[in-house]
Order: sequence, then C-alpha cells, then structure tokens
Amino acid sequence: MSKVKSEISPEMSSIQQAANRMVDNVSKVIVGKKETIELVLVALLCEGHILIEDVPGIGKTMLAKTIARSLNCSFKRIQSTPDLLPSDITGIHYYNQKTSEFEFRPGPLMANIVLVDEINRATPRTQSSLLECMQERQVTVDLETMPLPRPFLVIATQNPVELEGTFPLPEAQLDRFLLRIGLGYPTKDEEGAILSRFQRSNPLESLTSVLEADELLKIQELSGQMYVEKSVSNYVTAITRASRSHEDIKLGASPRASLGLYHASQALAAIQGRNYVIPDDVKHLAVPALAHRLIVKTEARLRGRSTESILSEIVSAVPVPVEDP
Amino acid sequence: MKLDCKRGILYLAAMGMEVCWLYVLIAMLNKKVAGNHLSVAGILVLYPVSFIFNRLLGRLKWPGACLMSVSWLGWMVGMLLIVKVQLYADLPFSESTWLLSIPQAMAQMIYTLKPEFIILLSTGIIWWLSQRVASRDVSFPMMLKKFQFGLIMLVLTFFTGSRLDAIPDYPVSEALIFFLFALSGISMAHAFENTSWFSGQNRWPWPGLLLVSISLILLMGFLVTLLATPELLQLLWAAFKWVWGLICGLILKAIEFLAGLFPQSEPGKLPPMLDTSQLKPAQGKPLYIPKWLRSSLLFTISVFCIGMVLLALWRIISDVFYRLRRKLSDMADAEFEPMTGAFKADLLNVLKLLLSRLVKFIFFFRLRHKEGSVSPEVASVRRIYRQLLRWTAGCGYPRHISQTPYEYCRTLESLLPDTSKDLNFITKQYVRARYGVLLPVEDTLYILSQAWHRIKQTRLKRASAELSSGKEGN
Repeated sequence: MSKVKSEISPEMSSIQQAANRMVDNVSKVIVGKKETIELVLVALLCEGHILIEDVPGIGKTMLAKTIARSLNCSFKRIQSTPDLLPSDITGIHYYNQKTSEFEFRPGPLMANIVLVDEINRATPRTQSSLLECMQERQVTVDLETMPLPRPFLVIATQNPVELEGTFPLPEAQLDRFLLRIGLGYPTKDEEGAILSRFQRSNPLESLTSVLEADELLKIQELSGQMYVEKSVSNYVTAITRASRSHEDIKLGASPRASLGLYHASQALAAIQGRNYVIPDDVKHLAVPALAHRLIVKTEARLRGRSTESILSEIVSAVPVPVEDP
Repeated sequence: MKLDCKRGILYLAAMGMEVCWLYVLIAMLNKKVAGNHLSVAGILVLYPVSFIFNRLLGRLKWPGACLMSVSWLGWMVGMLLIVKVQLYADLPFSESTWLLSIPQAMAQMIYTLKPEFIILLSTGIIWWLSQRVASRDVSFPMMLKKFQFGLIMLVLTFFTGSRLDAIPDYPVSEALIFFLFALSGISMAHAFENTSWFSGQNRWPWPGLLLVSISLILLMGFLVTLLATPELLQLLWAAFKWVWGLICGLILKAIEFLAGLFPQSEPGKLPPMLDTSQLKPAQGKPLYIPKWLRSSLLFTISVFCIGMVLLALWRIISDVFYRLRRKLSDMADAEFEPMTGAFKADLLNVLKLLLSRLVKFIFFFRLRHKEGSVSPEVASVRRIYRQLLRWTAGCGYPRHISQTPYEYCRTLESLLPDTSKDLNFITKQYVRARYGVLLPVEDTLYILSQAWHRIKQTRLKRASAELSSGKEGN
C-alpha cells in the first residue's frame, strides 16, 4: 500500500486505443455483442484460449474468423471430425524423395490464431494432442519439440446441443481455456441489422487488419503490469476457494483458474483504460473464467442447478474488499 | 427559599453554563441522529421551566419522595409535550401513535437511535440538572464545579462531534458564551462571599475592569471567528507553503554550496536501478510535515491533554477532600481506624492499571497504524467514503457485503438522483485511491469534501420534502 502509482501512462492508454480499434473492426461484421467481443479481447491480451459455446447459427465461427482477420497474424482452421488424427493438426515428418531426407511438414497448429471448429467432434486422442500446445505453447512430433509462433491463440467452438457422436471435453482440456463465452440470440433490432448488413456481400471479405502481431505482443506484456492491490488479489482467491467448498460443487476451481481470473482482470482493466484492477473486473469475469472449470454434483444438476447460477451465488456471498463503515 | 438579586445572578450564571454545554450536546445528537429536525432551543426551554417548577415545589412542606414523584411527573408532561409539538404536530392529541412512539424508540435503541429517544434522554438530563440547581444554594465551590464539569463535557462533546462529523454550527460562539457565564459567575460568587478584592477598597474600579476584560476577550473571539474563513485559511496555508518552499530552497542551496567546497570523491559502481517507471509520484504533491515532527507534536499535544484532564480531576478530588475534611471536623467524637498506606497502595494500583491499559492501547494503535499506513491524501479520500457508508447505513441503506463501490453507487443514485454526480465523483475517487493507490491532487480533496457536504444537505432537503409531502398527504 505504500506504493504510489502515477496516472495512466501513454503506453497503458495504447492498450485502450488498440482495444477500441479491435472492437470497432469486429463490430463491422458482428452485430451487437460488444461485451462478448470485449471478452475475446481480454483473452487475447492474456494470451489465453477461448471456448465459444452456443447453439448453431449464432455466429461463433464468424466471430472467431473476424477476430483472426482483424489481427495481422497467420490464421489456420481445423474442422474437427471423428476421424481427425493428432498428426493432422501437429504436423508430420515425411520422406522427401528428392532430397532423400525426412522433412517436417507443419500442421495447422503452427499459426498465430487457430480456430478449432466443433472441437467436441474430435476424438479424445486428438483433443488431448492440443493439451501441450495450449499450455506450453510448443508441439512435440517424433520426439522433436518445436515452439509455436507467438502470439498463439486457440479459439475453439462447440455446440451444446446435438451431443450424438461427440466427445465431451475432459476437465483437463477445459481448464486450459481461459474463458468460455456464449453469444446468445440477437435482439430484434440486431437481427434486422444482420439481414441488411449481409444482404449484398459478406463484410468479412472486405475486413482489414487493425492490429499487428508485434503490437499485440507488446500490449500483452503491458497488460501483465497492471497493478492489483493486495485486497483485490485476495478477493480473487476468495472466490476460487469458495467454489471448492460449495456444497453443490464436486470439483472447484483450480489454482490455474485463480491465475486465469487474475490475469483476465488485469486485461479487462487495461481495456477499460485503467492501470489498476478493481473488484468489478473480477466480478465481471468470474463466470466466464470459472464456470467451465467447475463440476456440479449430480444431485444438484438434477435439481436444475447450473455452474453459472452456483457461481453467481458464490460471487454474491463473497465480501468485496471495501472500507468498513 | 427567597431569591434575592445576587443569588438570582449566580443562578443565572450556573444555568447559563449548563445550558451552553447541553445545547452543544443536544445539537450534536440532533445533527447525527435526527438530521437536524429537532429544535434544540425548544428542548432547552424545559430548563427554566423545570427550575421554576422545582423551586415552587421546594416551598411546599411535602415529604421528599412525594416532591420527587411530582417533579418527575412534571418532567413526563414536559417531555411528552415536546415530542408532540416537535415530531407529531399534525396528529391530534387523541391519536395514540405519538404516545406509542416513545416506547418504540426505547425498544429500538439497541439497533438505532430515534429522535424520540433523543428528546427523552435530553429532557431527562435537563430536568435532573435543573432540579439539582434549584434544590441547592449557589456558592463559589458550586460555580467552580459547574465550570469544571461543564468544560469537560464541552471538550468531550466537541471531540466526539469531530469524530462523528457532527460538530454544531457555531462551536466558537457557544464556547465563548460558556466562558462568559463561567467567568462572570465564578468571579461574582467569589466577590459575594466577601473574601476577595471585590469587596475591598477598590471594589468599584475592579468590576468594571473585569467586565471590560471579559468583553474584550469575547469580542476578539468573535472577530477571529468572523475572519477565519476557509478562503483566508487557504490563503494563509498557500503563503506558509510558499515561505516554507523558499526556506527549504535556501537551505538546499546552502547545503549544495557547502557540499561543493568538499573534494569530489570517486563514485563507486552503483547496483542497477529498479524499474520505477510505473511508480512516478503524482504531480503537485503537497508539503509534508516530517514524520519525527508530527510524532513529537502528537506526543506534546497528548501530554498536554492528559495533563489538563489530570488537573481537572485533581481539582475535583481536592474539592471532594476539602468537603470531607470539613465534614469530619464536625464529627469530633467519632473514632477512626487508621489504615496506614492503604490509600497510597490503592492509588498506585489504579495508576498501574491505567498505565498498563494505556501502553496496551498505544501498542495496538501503533500496530494498526503501521499495517494500514497510507498517504494522508489517500487516507482523506477513504475517510470521506467511510463517512458516506456510515451515513447511508444510518439512513437504512447499508452496502451489501458483495456490492462493489460502483454497484453501491448505482443503488444510491436510484435513491438520491439529485446527487448522482457527487456520488459518482466520490466513488470514482475512492476506487482510484483504494485500488489504484493513486494520489488525488489537492483540488480533488477540496471538491470531494464539497461533494460530501452537498450530499448531506441534499439528504436533508429530500427528507424535509418527504416530510412536507407526508403532511400534505395527511
């Protein structure tokens, strides 16, 4: 508490400017959903991965593609199917007959932005091949470990309905996603705006990039420098610890979840033009950052309780660090 | 008990002293609990009424218990009348609501204090004090005791008021009036006992001189009150800061000059500096009093205050002992068992206990102070926010434990839409200071206190508007 911070520096305000540019650019394609776009930016700044989960036709893939297009980075797409193999995504060593040598042919993972569409349609074996890439940002093929390009971001989508022929993501896999977000149906006005916007052509085709990879790396580094007061940091851990002791929760949030929520709060503060984190940031991100990591007890699920509702209950019971009157 | 002119004046002075500190106490309670809805003068009217009533009762040759019962019956009637007139003027006397409000206020006093309870308490104290004055003969020791007790009460009330942010509107004037009554009363009581210069050869010039001196002191006090406006104090503070800066600059230049006279030493290799780019101090940092000077001043003031309290206690105790000695001298044939050293041992035990408590308190306070040490500006912002929280909680809208400052601000905005700008400003500054540890600039603190002041006043307007609309409804 003895540290005295200055007003927001020009470097810090550059994050807000970059975020505004991104939001404006993505909004040229995605109608409304500003809050969701902001959450995607949070994940971008933390270099965390995003799981977009919603019903078909909402615009999950479109959002992922728009984000990728807005960044001047390499982009690859993986369409998950039951016959997809780990080597199909990591890459393989093949024998080049001309040079008489084994050469590495990189898979789609060797890109800055990787869209894994319908991730729950891939087999657990293929899903597991993503674990190392997502956590350690490296890939091991035939005993050879190669670093992935930076920034590296996995945007996965999945459909919560039509579960036939799918393989639900294991807990270890879900824990590697920083945020799970949903888009939800558009409002009446938004749906009208979608029709008129896509009437003649797809605006995604004419979309230009507004953020360079170097710039993104720089603001990622700055985002990690946001000041988090001790009590706010304690508030983060209080929420995650409360999830572990809740009667309806079978498996609570992990320390990785605490870390994710902490970094995400820092990123949200930076996007909103602050160089310090406030409890509102933590509260705002608690559900998207933690809900997918919790396992609800069967009896609670049968009572109709969802992870989101339990988490909201936890957040509304944990005291916010404010002055005592 | 026939009142002559001299006694009348002394009674007036004693009553004046008591009314002064009672006024300050009731005004503080009125401000804190009743939101300034009560008329303090209306409550204090009971004092002379009680005095006259008890004097008249004293003339009757009834038994003591009977007199006491009648006297307190009188208090009950007076108290009920004040409650009715001040709080339930619109209700008819036949309505039982206003009568029931008093037991209800008493039942709720553990949870919250209500205006009815303030009236009950203050009228009780007033009645009891005036009854005491009416039943006793005024003398120099009595005037002295009234002054000592009144002074302690006045100081305690001002201290409590400052902690609760409920200082009455004109504290200097009230203190001056108290001293006017006290000084006049004590000097006249001394004079009437024919033991002072007041009864000697120069008895005519002295009273005039005394009155002129008292008038001059009071006049000077009023002048200081009138001149010492916030603007003037700001100006003086700015001038002081400028002079202080000038002196510091001169001292620094002198030190630099003296340092330049010494031969330059070979600079050693310094360790790499920490990255302090994020820790720049805010612009316009105000002047700090050095910590050692602050501690010494604090110590001196504490010693002075404790000394004053001890002095007052010593005076009261010596007075009590004097009375006891006089009483004992009348009991010449009584036998006493000597207890050598008992009093000394008791006194030492009490002092030891007090000292250990004091040491514990100081240790605890210092520990807390060290744990939560923040800059004075940040502490000011947090204090104002705490006051806001206390105030809103007192109004029945406490913050829920899971509400963030901004969420709570939105709740308050819906309750007090007129002050949304000020509420937003206070919340924003608090969030910056609390979570960002950002130093507010000097102007911000001033605007912040103004905003807080406006919120309090708006609440009064709102409350009075609600009251008037309620009256119209009735």
